[in-house]
Amino acid sequence: MIRTVTFEKTTYNELPYKFEAGTPNIAGGIGLGAALDYITHIGLQKIAGYEHDLLVYGTEALMRIPGLRMIGTAREKAAVLSFVIEGIHPHDIGTVLDQQGIAVRTGHHCAQPVMDRFHVPATTRASLAFYNTIGEIDALVAGLHKVKEIFS
Amino acid sequence: MVHDLYQETILDHSKRPRNCHPMEDATRKAEGYNPLCGDKLKLFLKMDGDIVSDVSFVGSGCAISTASASLMTESLKGKTRTEALKVMEKFHDLLTTDSPVTQELGKLVVFCGVRDYPARVKCATLAWHTLKSALNGAVEEPVSTE
Repeated sequence: MIRTVTFEKTTYNELPYKFEAGTPNIAGGIGLGAALDYITHIGLQKIAGYEHDLLVYGTEALMRIPGLRMIGTAREKAAVLSFVIEGIHPHDIGTVLDQQGIAVRTGHHCAQPVMDRFHVPATTRASLAFYNTIGEIDALVAGLHKVKEIFS
Repeated sequence: MVHDLYQETILDHSKRPRNCHPMEDATRKAEGYNPLCGDKLKLFLKMDGDIVSDVSFVGSGCAISTASASLMTESLKGKTRTEALKVMEKFHDLLTTDSPVTQELGKLVVFCGVRDYPARVKCATLAWHTLKSALNGAVEEPVSTE
């Protein structure tokens, strides 16, 4: 933020204002507040419990797919399902799922050392949250069967 | 819809890539790398004067990038350097423009579905970027699609 500007000279405001560029992110601040209200209203414990149920259901459902290997199986983990399927590259999996309306992330997830640790070039990752449903996990499983059908 | 992208020829070449081996007596080599996917490719060319007399590759990648490398090697044999670069240009247009699909690219037209998947264009062009760097002479650094 400036104090005065002329063609000849610019002076800046004192600290910390000199590092604040123009209008602050007011909408962002209000949005964050609304998001916190929403989460608090539902309850963090409730969210954690529901997401854990999704994780347990999703893990079991995916593990039944032949050739699928789960990456990251720590006992205490968030509702994230990262996996590889033998012989099919994650980007091909992602494109076919995308065509069925299922959004996953594919690639090295900005975590190349972890990919090296598990000896995989990339993974497919479904990240579940409290707005996901059991039905959506079933759709993911059906989608993965379709992937296998195309690339088998 | 998905079958427009993964046409039978692409699936076939991704499962059984042609000319997929190192070449000991290659006269030119180049490496390609796609940092977004982690796809890697090594290309070997044997030039007879100005003519590509043999071409092969090794590498790891998705179905699109493997099939693209495989079909590229098939399309290049016997072509001059200028002809090869011309094919690359036409192939690039096939993937990135709405121009009508012409049959002059031969089998390579199976990649026309990629134009509807902008995120996959880099997969299909990795082998071709690597070709360009091999044809343009020795390179120290792997060529990147970035």
